[in-house]
Amino acid sequence: MFQLDLTSPKSIYEQVIDNMKELIVTGVMPEGSRLPSVRELSKDLTVNPNTIQKAYRELEREGFIYTASGRGTFVADVSVIKPDDAKIQNVEKEILGGFRSLIYLGLSFDEAKKIVETIINTEERSKRND
Amino acid sequence: MIEINGLCKSFDGYQALNNMNIKVQSGSIYGLIGTNGAGKTTVIRHMAGIIKADAGEVLFDGENVWDNEGVKQRIGLIPDELYFPNNSAPDDMRRFYSSVYRNWDDSKYRHIMDLFKLDPHKKVGTFSKGMKKQVAFALAMAKNPDYLILDEPIDGLDPIVRKIVWRLIVDDVAEKEMSVLVSSHNLKEMEGICDYIGIVDHGEMKLERELDLLKGRIHKVQVSFGKDGLPPEINDNLNIIHRDTRGSVELLIIANSMQTIEETIGSRNPVLFDILPLSLEEIFIYELGGESDEISKLIL
Repeated sequence: MFQLDLTSPKSIYEQVIDNMKELIVTGVMPEGSRLPSVRELSKDLTVNPNTIQKAYRELEREGFIYTASGRGTFVADVSVIKPDDAKIQNVEKEILGGFRSLIYLGLSFDEAKKIVETIINTEERSKRND
Repeated sequence: MIEINGLCKSFDGYQALNNMNIKVQSGSIYGLIGTNGAGKTTVIRHMAGIIKADAGEVLFDGENVWDNEGVKQRIGLIPDELYFPNNSAPDDMRRFYSSVYRNWDDSKYRHIMDLFKLDPHKKVGTFSKGMKKQVAFALAMAKNPDYLILDEPIDGLDPIVRKIVWRLIVDDVAEKEMSVLVSSHNLKEMEGICDYIGIVDHGEMKLERELDLLKGRIHKVQVSFGKDGLPPEINDNLNIIHRDTRGSVELLIIANSMQTIEETIGSRNPVLFDILPLSLEEIFIYELGGESDEISKLIL
């Protein structure tokens, strides 16, 4: 399903949360699909089940998943989730960092800008075709 | 739950354990880390009810293990030195175990032996060190223990077998809330598996931590402000626990959240600013109070 990175500054708990969110937000796991059970995932990743349990609890608290008693854990309707301001700021910083990297490579400001615009246009076209 | 309260033991005047306290919650995997001779095996032998404490007690769900057959029925143990009777094959051991342990599960034993691809009719004496350990593991797991105690379990096992061993353990922890205590001198092997870590040295508990909380509390940062050097506000506003200067580049170990660090340093226009990964070993070294040789030796 996904891999964990033991060298990452993020704890395994955070990594499980982030990886799950990515699978949900990108639609790899659409609304209503069943998540692996705590037992399955902990075996799969060879990770302490308590860590998985805690990650699932946090995902549920944030509204990404819900538990139907006796049936398992499922992906919730994520379109209603309000994104966290602090996280938006973090991603903004990453985008800025990426843009600056282009300039560090020796591109002029306009050349870098053009690359970013191309990416956005391509993204827009593929979104429209969906 | 396993509770070790104020355990003391000396051998011929040598204090092997000094007021040792450990608590392993149900469904938890506790990693006991320490150098050779730190007292790990002595703790485990007390937990197994093999040796009697000078003071203190070991309780399994409130019951003292000493001279208590009912509790021992529910303990699975893999000691550091394995013993198999002369000329016995794994299947002879299976017969013995199934006659002694009430929760013995024959199909589980066969399943694990198959996973390890071990011949149950061959004499254990002809097996390699790692294969003997696998037999011991199959026997311990097939007892369906509520408490599993492992002394250096992965020592001498190849990476594939290790993976199988950890998988079987996390499966039983998830399924029936088995409590596990595992000793090791290798902290790296414990990451992901253990939720609690305790570091012992000279018969004493030095540090106990919940692993999920460890990462994210301490960060390693590489930063440079060119020839101006580190602005004093950074020193004032951040909890810098270690500082290493190489030319104009500073390597800082900071005990603050990532966000605080990014805001404090990022807003002062550093020439270079990277947050570097910090290994579990490094985190423990700094948690234990800096980079002294004595502490490094405990973990690395």
